[in-house]
Amino acid sequence: MLTAILEHSSLFLQQLVNGITLGSIYALIAVGYTMVYGVIQLINFAHGEIYMLGAFISFSLLTGLFGVGLPFWLAVVVAVLACALAGVLLDIVAYRPLRRAPRLAALITAIGMSIFLQNLALLIWGAQIKSFPRNLIPAFFNEPALQFGDVLVSWLQVIILLTAICLMLALQLIVHYTRIGRAMRAIAQDKTAASLMGVNVDRVVSYTFALGSGLGGAAGILVALYYNAVYPTMGYFAGIKAFAAAVLGGIGSIPGAILGGGILGLAEVFGGGYISSSYSDGIAYAVMILVILVKPQGLFGRQLRDKA
Amino acid sequence: MKRLWLMIPAVFFLVSVVQAETIKLPVASPFTGPLASFGEGVKNGALLKADEINAGGGIKGQKIEIVLGDELCDPKEAAAVATRFANDPEVAIVVGHLCSSATLAALPIYREAGLPAITPASTNPEIGKSSPYYFRNVYKDDFQGDFLARYAKKVHGFKKIAIFYEVNDYAMGLKDAFVKQAKKQGLRVIGAESYMAETADFKAQLTKFKMMRPDAIFIPGYAPQATLLISQARSLGMKCAFFGADGLDDAIMLQNPDADGLFVTTPFLVDRGGAMVKEFVERYRKKFGIEPNWFAANTYDAVGLAAAAITQAGLDREKVRAYLASISSLEKAYQGITGATYFDENGDCLKAAFVKVVKDGKWVSAEEQLQ
Repeated sequence: MLTAILEHSSLFLQQLVNGITLGSIYALIAVGYTMVYGVIQLINFAHGEIYMLGAFISFSLLTGLFGVGLPFWLAVVVAVLACALAGVLLDIVAYRPLRRAPRLAALITAIGMSIFLQNLALLIWGAQIKSFPRNLIPAFFNEPALQFGDVLVSWLQVIILLTAICLMLALQLIVHYTRIGRAMRAIAQDKTAASLMGVNVDRVVSYTFALGSGLGGAAGILVALYYNAVYPTMGYFAGIKAFAAAVLGGIGSIPGAILGGGILGLAEVFGGGYISSSYSDGIAYAVMILVILVKPQGLFGRQLRDKA
Repeated sequence: MKRLWLMIPAVFFLVSVVQAETIKLPVASPFTGPLASFGEGVKNGALLKADEINAGGGIKGQKIEIVLGDELCDPKEAAAVATRFANDPEVAIVVGHLCSSATLAALPIYREAGLPAITPASTNPEIGKSSPYYFRNVYKDDFQGDFLARYAKKVHGFKKIAIFYEVNDYAMGLKDAFVKQAKKQGLRVIGAESYMAETADFKAQLTKFKMMRPDAIFIPGYAPQATLLISQARSLGMKCAFFGADGLDDAIMLQNPDADGLFVTTPFLVDRGGAMVKEFVERYRKKFGIEPNWFAANTYDAVGLAAAAITQAGLDREKVRAYLASISSLEKAYQGITGATYFDENGDCLKAAFVKVVKDGKWVSAEEQLQ
C-alpha cells in the first residue's frame, strides 16, 4: 500500500517536472506570438518556423555545417541573434508592405511565409531528423540535477526553466522600463496616435520582431536539446501549440502567454500520462477551448471594444 | 525513284526507335522524406539488379528501365503514384511499396487496374489477403511479431514488456501479433502506448512506464522516432532493454550511443548468406560505396522476380500475375540472395527472420538466432 502511494506520488511529481519544462518552452514561443499581435494585431504564423530555424542554425553552427564549428555557448548566442535578425527580415520582406492592407492579407502572407520557410529548411537540411552529437554539447546536461527516489530532474530541465524565467523577466523589464518598451506599449494602444507623437512605428515593430523571434529561437534550441531532435516540421506543431497558449492566456498579454504556456504544457503531459497518450494533444486543446468558452478574451485578455 | 531514297532513312529511324525502347519497371518507395534512407536501399537494390540484367542482354534484348515513384511513405502520395503507374499501358508490373500504409493505399488501385505488384518490404498481414494482384517477398508481421515474442522470452528471459507503437498499419499489426504470442509465452505486457509519426516528445509516456519497471520496451515503428524514444528513456534514467522489428533496421541507430544493445528482427543478414550474398555485397559496395541494408537485398530479389515474370509472360498484366501465382512451391521457387521465394495462395511467402544487435556503433548478428 505504502509503496503504491509512493510510486503514485513519484509518478505525479515526475510528470509535474516534465509538464513545467514543456510549459516553459511553450511560454517562450507564445510570448513571440503575443508581442507581435499586441503591437500590429497580426498573428505571425511563421513564428513557429523561426523557432525551427533557431534549432537548425545552432545545430549547423555546432557541427560545422557552414564551414566553422563553434563552441556550444557561442553557437547558441549566434543562433539566437540570427533568429532575431530573421524575424526582422521576415517583417520587412513580408509584412511591412501590407501594413495598410486588410488584416486578412497579412494573415495569409504569414501562413505563406510559414510554408516557405519550412520548405526552405527541407531544401537546406533535408527531412531526416537530426540529433546533436553527444560530444559537442556540455556533458552535464543529461545528468541529474536533483533526484529523490524515482523522480529525476536533469540539468537541462533546470536550464530550460531558468532560461525561460530569466528571458521572461528581461522581457518584462524591457517592455515596462525602457524607451523602446514604452514605444511598444504606445503603439499597442493606438498606432496612429503614437506615430503622431513621433514614435517611429517601423523601428519599434522591428524591435518587437527581433525580441519575439530571439525568444522563439532560444526556445527552439532548448527543445532541440531536450528531445535531441531537429527537423523541418518541428516548428509547425510547436507553433500551433504556442498559438493556442497565447490565445488561452489572452492574446496580446505577455503574462497571459506565460501562464497559457504553462497550463498547456501541464495539460498535455498529465493528459498523456494519466488518460491516454493518443489524446495528449487533444486534451491540451480541449483545455484551451474550455477556457475560451468561459472567458472569450482569454485569461488576461483585454475586453475588445468596437472601434467606432 | 527519288521517293524511295527518301524513305530509306525514315525506315531506318523507325527501326532504331523500336530497338531503343526499354521495358519500364516502376519502383515505388519513399525516396525523400524522413524514411529516405530506407528508400535509398530500395533504389540501389533495384538499380543494381537492373544493371546486371541489362549487362547480360536485358530481357529478350530489351533493356529494363527502372522508373522511380517517390511517395514519402504517405498513403495519399502512394495512391497518386499508384494511379500514375496503373494508367501507363507500358507498365506490366510494379515493385513496391515500402511502408505498409502506403502499400495498402496503393493496393485497391492496382487491383482495379489488374496490375500485379511485388512489395519487397511491406509486412502488414492484410496485404496478401486483400488482392490477388499483390505479392511479397518478405515475411508478414504476424510471423515477425510472433517470432519477437518467442525470442524475447527464450533468449533474453524477459518477464515484463512495455510497448510503444506508432499509429500505422505496419506497427499496429506487429504489436497485435506480438501481444498474442506474448500471452502464450507467459510474457507480461504491462502497457502499450501509441504515438504519431510526427511525435518527438515521449517523456510523459516514458515516465509512466518508468514506474512500472519493465525489463524491456518493444518499439513497433520506424527508426527516426525510435532513436529519440530510446535517448529520452535513458535521459529519464531508464535502464531497461529495447528491441524492435525491421522498421528499426537503419543506420541512424548506429549514430545514437544510447541505442547500444538494441536488437531488431531483419529478413536479411549478410553473414548468414552463401557465395551469392557475398558477391552481391561486393558489387553493391563497389557501385554505391555503402553497405547494403535489407531493403536493398529484398528489392534486388523483387526486381529479379519481376524480370523473370516478364521474361516468361511478356508485358501482359494478367499473364504476369498468373506466372507469379504459379511460383507456389519450393521446387518452383525463385532462388535469390534472400533465399528461395515462393508464394502461398494469398501471394505471401514464408521466410526466416534473423536478429541483429547494435554493438559499439555497428550492427552485428545476434549470437543466438531462433528458428
